[in-house]
Parts: sequence; C-alpha cells; structure tokens
Amino acid sequence: MTLFEVLERFQTMDRRWVFLGMAISIVAPMLFPFNLGFKVDERVQSLYDTIETLPPGSTVLVSADFDPASLPELEPFFRANLEHLFRRDLKVVVLSLWESAPPVVKPLLRRVAERHDKAYGTDYVFLGFKTGKELAIKGIGENIFKTFPEDIEGTKITSLPIMQGFKQAKDFPLLVSVSAGFPGTKEYVLQIQGQYDLTMISACTAVSAPDYIPFYKAGQLRGLSGGMPGSAQYEKLVFPDGPLPGERLLATQAVNVLNLGHLYIIGLIILGNVAWLLTRPRAAAGGSA
Amino acid sequence: MPTTEIVGAWISIFLTLCIFSYLYDDNPIYKLVEHLFLGVSIGYSVVEAYFGAFKPNVINKLADGQLTPLVALVLVLMLFSKVIPRFSYLARIPIAFIVAAFAGVKLTGEANSNLMTQVAQSMPNLAAVYAEHGLWSWDADGAGLFSSLFLVAGLSACLLHFYFSAPHQRGMKVVSRFGVLVLMLSFGASFGYTVMGRISLCIGRVQEMLGLNRPIDEAEIIQPQLATLVSLVVIVGSLVVWRVQQSRQRGAEG
Repeated sequence: MTLFEVLERFQTMDRRWVFLGMAISIVAPMLFPFNLGFKVDERVQSLYDTIETLPPGSTVLVSADFDPASLPELEPFFRANLEHLFRRDLKVVVLSLWESAPPVVKPLLRRVAERHDKAYGTDYVFLGFKTGKELAIKGIGENIFKTFPEDIEGTKITSLPIMQGFKQAKDFPLLVSVSAGFPGTKEYVLQIQGQYDLTMISACTAVSAPDYIPFYKAGQLRGLSGGMPGSAQYEKLVFPDGPLPGERLLATQAVNVLNLGHLYIIGLIILGNVAWLLTRPRAAAGGSA
Repeated sequence: MPTTEIVGAWISIFLTLCIFSYLYDDNPIYKLVEHLFLGVSIGYSVVEAYFGAFKPNVINKLADGQLTPLVALVLVLMLFSKVIPRFSYLARIPIAFIVAAFAGVKLTGEANSNLMTQVAQSMPNLAAVYAEHGLWSWDADGAGLFSSLFLVAGLSACLLHFYFSAPHQRGMKVVSRFGVLVLMLSFGASFGYTVMGRISLCIGRVQEMLGLNRPIDEAEIIQPQLATLVSLVVIVGSLVVWRVQQSRQRGAEG
C-alpha cells in the first residue's frame, strides 16, 4: 500500500476508530498515572490570594450554580474552596440558582464541614435552590431574607446565627460564584457586582472561561478558575502537600489525562490536514490510477 | 454506607456505558437510556418547579390569605390559552409582561457591566501598563505594552471589518483582513476551551467508572471497576444479540 493510499484511507476511515483512540488516551493514563506537571496561572493565584486576605471570622457568600454534568470540572474546585474557607476559619453561606445543584452540593458541604468540626447554622448554612434566575440574583443583591426565607432544611434563616447582619449581597466581604453556565458568574456580574461594587471571584467551566476572562481583566472579578486546569491549579495551592488522608485530588489526577487527550486531538488535526494537503493534487487529477 | 448509594453507583456506571454505546451505533440500549434520561430530567424539573416556585409563591401565600398571587396565577393560566386556538391571543399578555420584565432587568446590567466597563478597558493606559509589566511579562500571562497595543489594534480592526459604509479596498481591505484574523484567533481559543471542556466531561465519567472520583474507603465498598466490567459484559452481549437479530431480519427480508 502506497503512502497516498494510506493517507486517503485515513481520511475516510470509520470515525469509531477515532473514538477508540480517544478512549485509550483517556483510560490508559488513569490506569498508569504519570505527572507532566503544571504551573499556577495569575488568575487562579489572584483568586487564592483574595481569599487569603479575608480576616478570620468573615462570612463568605458562595453561589454553587452547577449540576451533575459539570461535576468533573467544578466539583474539585468547590471541594477545595470549602476546604480553603473552613481552614481559614471563615463562615460560609451557600446558595444555588440551579435546580439540580442541591443533591450534589449538600453532601459535599456536609463532608468538608464535618472534617473541620463546623456547626450548621453557626459556621455554615445551605440556603438551597431558588428559581427566578436573574431576578433571584437581583433579590440576593437587595434582600436575601426575602429571596431565601428558609434554608434547605426549612428553617427560617432570620433565626440562624450565621445570617445575623447579612441582609444583602454587599454585606458579605466576598462572593464566590461556582458557575456552570446560565445563570451564573456573568449574570452576577451584570446584575449586582457592578451595582454594589462586590468583591467577587469565580470558577467556571472551560466553555465559559473565554467569556469571563474580560471580566477578570476589567477587575470585575478578582480571580478566575477556568475548567479542569483551573481547578487543578487551585488544588495545588490549597493542598500543597498532596491529598488529605483517604481523599483524592480529582482535578490534579485528571489534568495529566487531559494533556494526553489534547495531544491526541492535536495529532489528529495535524495528520488530517497533512493527509488532505498531500492527497489533494492527485485526487483532483483523478486519484492514484 | 447505605445500600441505596452502592446500587445507585452501579446504576450510574451502567447507564453511562449504555450512553457510550451510541459511539458504536444507534442501538436500542442507547434509546432506552436516552428516554429514561429525558423522563427523569423532566420529572425532576416539574417537581422542583412546583415545590421551589409554585407552592411557596402561590399556594402558601393564598393559604395565608394574600390575594396578589391571584394576578400571577391568572397570567399563568393565560399562557395555557395557547392550546385553545380561539383564545390563543390571550397568551400575548403574559408574554408581553415576561419580555418587558426581562428586557428591563437585562438592560441596565448589560449597559453598565458588559458595555461601559469593557469599553473603558479597551482603552488601556499604555504608560501605566509599560511601567508595571514592560513590553511583555511572562509572569502575568503576557500582560504588557505589546498585548495592550494588540488589543487596541485587534479590536479596532474587528470593528472596522463590520463597517460596511466604506468599500473594503486598499488600506481598508488590509485592516479588514487583520480583523478577520483576530476573529479567527478568538474562535480558535473558544473552540480550544470547548474541546477541553468536553474531554473533561469524558474524564469525569471514566473517573467514576474506575472509582477514582470517590474517597478510597467508599471506592473499596462500591467496587466501581467490577461494576464497569459487569456492565460492559451485559452491554456488549446485548449489542451482539441485537446485531445477530438485525442480520437475520435482513436475511429474511432479502
């Protein structure tokens, strides 16, 4: 078989071979792990530093706007973020604008809080899900007690010690938006960040990252973690000595796999273009005959 | 660990592999799980909408003797008039409310945070940027005088590319081409991020199948790798049976 025929066959090969190649490039490095290493970029470092500057005892508002589909990208960040906040002795008020978030957020929050012996209602609270999207965000900016009258357990939030003195978003020294799309970081920036001059950081999916980078450049976001690499970089900052006993650093272990997946796709793009360029003149002239 | 959680993890792995079976071919197992997914999603949304919005905002308030939710209730019912062609015009009234309210909520935020702030950022203080980062700073992700000038030039070229009141000839043609080049770079970056996101999702599923997304003690109880193996055997076996049946059918027809 000539090179021309090989390249021609490559262009018409069954796409299932491409899927199989991708499956191998993802599964193999998980079974036989390796470490290519990565560095923390400025946006993630800035996100970390913003939390570090908060005095202990401050109360942080976290909007967990993700669902099971975006867990691989955002769960590692959310987990590390809770660890970071509790380790710095900060209080955490979590809420969500995504209906499918509570079943995911609640166990994660409880697990990390228990590890730090934090008391529900005093050190942390989960206000649950609120519908209304941008209108709900407006409500958070104006009056949280009205927007979330009860927490996820059905307790009036006015009776919770952690909520005393925190009537609206601007009362919190920091807003953390963990966002998988709409409504999320962009809507927070548009609706209340500018209006109330909130200090805000964000972790988003890779798809959203290009849209949110201008917000970071403009100072509307003090820090930004984009996709799985962003989560891995944040894990590196929060867990410099590796995972806690019995736990795993999900994004760190995945980011090397991601590298291999990218190399595979880049290889296919180059090979596809080379094959097309080399076979084009002969194909136009009537093939290999 | 509760048994429901273990069973749930096994079901999750099985369903993931059922969906992945589509990569082989459109098949009955995939179809079954696709319908299951749709049903569960819609069911979950309906229940959340009822308990998260309808009950607290309408039913509970009416039970407390407040009458204002009746206005909202009437508007909601008017939306459903779409199903009766004779009265379908009534739906225009609540839709007008929704459009007006949404436009009002969006406009101020878009104008302030998405337009004015970003326009201001597109006019960087070059002297200050040079003083802080110099021509190019590797530590600050490429911030510096070069990047700021490229931003201004690229933005201007993109805007001029969409300026149609002057013919795209000579100098304008060069600027327009540069604008297209910048747009292509931007699309390329967005596509790269999208690819990364999709591979990340795939990695997430594989992590679940190999038990790498759980604490070590949980993974030892659930045995996700065994679940993956069993699911693979069941799915591949079913696909083989399905293929044999298909070829027999074709043989009988032909």
